[in-house]
Amino acid sequence: MTLFDVVFNGNDTVYGLTENAVDAAIAQHGADKAVGFPHTAYSLPCYYAVTGTKIEKLGDMKDALAVIKSLMTREKRLNDAFMSGVATALCAELIEALKYIDGATPYEEPCYGHLADAVIRELGVPLVTGDIPGVAVILGSAPSTEEAAALVKSYQAQGILVTLVGGIIDQVAEAGMKTGANVRVIPLGKDVTSVIHVVSVAVRAALIFGNVAPGDAAALMEYTFKRVPAFVNAFAPLDPVIVACGAGAIALGFPVITNEETFRVPKSLIVQKDVSKFNATSLEARDIKIKITNIDIPVAFASAFEGEIIRRG
Amino acid sequence: MGNFKLTTVEEMEAATNKLLETGAKVGADAWQYRVKNQTPHCKFGEQGICCRICSMGPCRITPKAPRGICGCDAHGIVGRNFLKFTAGGAATHSDHGREICHTLHCASPDGAYKIKDEAKLLKLAKEFGVETEGRDIYEIAHETAEAGLMEYGKPFGYQKFTERMPASQRDRLLENEMLPRAIDREVSSSLHMAHMGCSSLPEALVKQSVRCGMGDGWGGSMMGTEFSDVLFGTPKPIDTEANLGVMVAENVNIVVHGHDPSLSEMICEYADDPEMIAYAKEMGAKGITVSGVCCTSNEVAMRRGIPMAGNFLQQENVVLTGACEAIVVDVQCIFPALGPLSKCFHTKFITTSPIAQMPDSEFIRFSAETAAENAKLIVKTAIENFKNRKPELVYIPDMKQKATVGYSVEAIVKVLDGVTNSQVDETGTTKPLLECITSGVIRGAVAMVGCNNPKIRPDYAHIELMKKLIANDIIVIASGCSAQAAAKAGLMDKEAKNICGAGLKRVCELADIPPVLHMGSCVDISRMMNLAAELSKDSGIPIYQLPVVGCAPEWMSEKAVSIGNYVVGTGIDTFLGVDPYVAGSDQMAALLTDGLRKWTGAAYTVEKDIDKLVDLMIERIEEKREALGI
Repeated sequence: MTLFDVVFNGNDTVYGLTENAVDAAIAQHGADKAVGFPHTAYSLPCYYAVTGTKIEKLGDMKDALAVIKSLMTREKRLNDAFMSGVATALCAELIEALKYIDGATPYEEPCYGHLADAVIRELGVPLVTGDIPGVAVILGSAPSTEEAAALVKSYQAQGILVTLVGGIIDQVAEAGMKTGANVRVIPLGKDVTSVIHVVSVAVRAALIFGNVAPGDAAALMEYTFKRVPAFVNAFAPLDPVIVACGAGAIALGFPVITNEETFRVPKSLIVQKDVSKFNATSLEARDIKIKITNIDIPVAFASAFEGEIIRRG
Repeated sequence: MGNFKLTTVEEMEAATNKLLETGAKVGADAWQYRVKNQTPHCKFGEQGICCRICSMGPCRITPKAPRGICGCDAHGIVGRNFLKFTAGGAATHSDHGREICHTLHCASPDGAYKIKDEAKLLKLAKEFGVETEGRDIYEIAHETAEAGLMEYGKPFGYQKFTERMPASQRDRLLENEMLPRAIDREVSSSLHMAHMGCSSLPEALVKQSVRCGMGDGWGGSMMGTEFSDVLFGTPKPIDTEANLGVMVAENVNIVVHGHDPSLSEMICEYADDPEMIAYAKEMGAKGITVSGVCCTSNEVAMRRGIPMAGNFLQQENVVLTGACEAIVVDVQCIFPALGPLSKCFHTKFITTSPIAQMPDSEFIRFSAETAAENAKLIVKTAIENFKNRKPELVYIPDMKQKATVGYSVEAIVKVLDGVTNSQVDETGTTKPLLECITSGVIRGAVAMVGCNNPKIRPDYAHIELMKKLIANDIIVIASGCSAQAAAKAGLMDKEAKNICGAGLKRVCELADIPPVLHMGSCVDISRMMNLAAELSKDSGIPIYQLPVVGCAPEWMSEKAVSIGNYVVGTGIDTFLGVDPYVAGSDQMAALLTDGLRKWTGAAYTVEKDIDKLVDLMIERIEEKREALGI
């Protein structure tokens, strides 16, 4: 199967799930039921940024599905794969938004789910100044708990913001690591669709700091490609849905590094079998250059630990 | 995105029409008028069924006279004509390659010609089995040049450079008696076969056509390219400009036209000389501008960033600007019309090679031994001619585009190294390009080559085909007049990424390249053959299975047919926009468009409808992808 076929299949799967979920939600709540994420001025930020349209109720979602379907062209060209990636991301956003109906709190400690605008504004300045030199999006389960913890720690020590999706969240917890926005390790959620909450960060950064007009998808993709130093680490096994999400990440300019044997695309889709080299491979792929002055002290030292809270005992 | 805008064919034609108005004032002739005088062309010639190889003829084939006097049928006549056409082209490139070998043999540390790329020389020396350990570099150069010269007439064995081919292709050619032996032998064998009473079997004539072409591509042309790199440096990406607007009204304009860089390199060298520039100022000019036409232009653009004034059918336009002090030519594709035309202006038409002598020209015989003084005299002659300019006739169209050129195989591999990841990839290979192709980010590659031909609206096919290919994520490599058409249009400006499909655009951004890569002159199509061989070796896929095709949409010369034959011989499907005079024989047409495939893995496609031609190429590339399962 060609890489594009895998992307298209993943996109079709997610679209089917989304369509069912939206229909079920409308059957349950009616088309006028309000939907949205808490603490954001950007409605469903990804959909808003790409199309310029705000989704306010379930009925709007039905219309959005038609718009998303129109992105799902099936020519054998990268543009079609990119747009399928974007369509997959938008579907994920709809699915995630449905979880928040009626003020529900679908995510519990340690997972964050949707991140409020305030968090993005707070992270925005260090991102622009380079204090946060990159954003790592880690997906799936590492081959072992030790490798998971070592990888996350390596990024943390470089001041990189780490977001976690799927099995690695449990692995990090098992290793006894502290997580949270204050230490720049943010577990998003266990479902693959929760990855949209970090995409939402990049997209809102473009809207807030990049002055990108909502609906100008080309400008959005150019801004994220040039200005948001994010990258994805996706652990094997990769299913078509993850690959379809990956196409969306690559469309935004974020390289994907994986330990699964798959197609390779220079600077974009890189196979690195050795997880201990994920860090170096990722930074080079995203052209992130960090100069570290090694201070020989017995504890970890990085700006990531600035917000750490020391509790009694 | 920025101010980037392609120059259209309409704009170029408007500029040409304005120049023709200048010409009309002084009674100048032009190819546009001569085409009218020659139309309609003889149908027998067009179909290849006119034979005049003995004095029993001329014979021609008609329904009433299906055989010539000797009894040869249409298939034999068309086949022999095709073979002789090929031999002419192969002889031309090969003699060019031979001259370069001689120039290398003349190189010396204190002479006009020096070794600029020692690493490449050492690599070639190794290939030819020349001892390099502890020896003087010039001694190595002379012996390597001699080894190269032996390739032209060696009595036994095959062309050395064919060992660069993947075994899958070389063995195939060997088995079918299509692997080239000595270069000159293939040319004279071809002429022998085409003599009255020799071969008239189409299969044999087609096979020899390919073998003769292969002696060019993997012999003469490759020798020309490789040794030019040794002498003048292997091209690296460099910025330049293209189209007539590169000529500067206030300067002495010297236009180099032809093919062999031994001449043009020396002219450029002396035009840069402070003494010459001072002399130009003394004569009332602000400086000296050297620009180029045709392949010699490609050579100096690739290595020195010398601007490109125009391609084949623009050669008369250069003189029509009224601002050309000298058009200096050597060999091949030079209109004899330049002689009478230059007489209408102050322009000096300077011929330099005993191979190409023409009436109404000033002949300054150029040779490798006396290159420095020859070049100096030519530059001086041009400078002294500045005062003879007729200001009322000067009109230089304000039209030029930026171009990044200089993509030799070595430069392409270096670009590809730039997108590798040091944690996972090896460098020095074509693998990043293969990965882009395998994943589908780039669908394939098209080598666009060839001439202009008045039968096709000049440059239209080159430019329109390239635009559609890059919009479909197909990367284009170009050489010769095709490359110059691209440069004039703006397709070699890195900003042209914005008219590409998403895949090629991303590749251009990450690798920092234009979507159409200038690989050089017509002998430099050998670079493309080396690239194809590398891609095959790095991927383990035979060349004929790679999603790569060649195209000569506006081809004109015998050289183009020789090139087509070696491209097909290398295993790359080749698309032509002009029929190679074979319509008179269904057997010959069938062999060229299909039968060849069983011997070389590739064949020709001829389609005179240019829009269909590009669609056929895209279809073929997708077919090849499907067959590979990518």
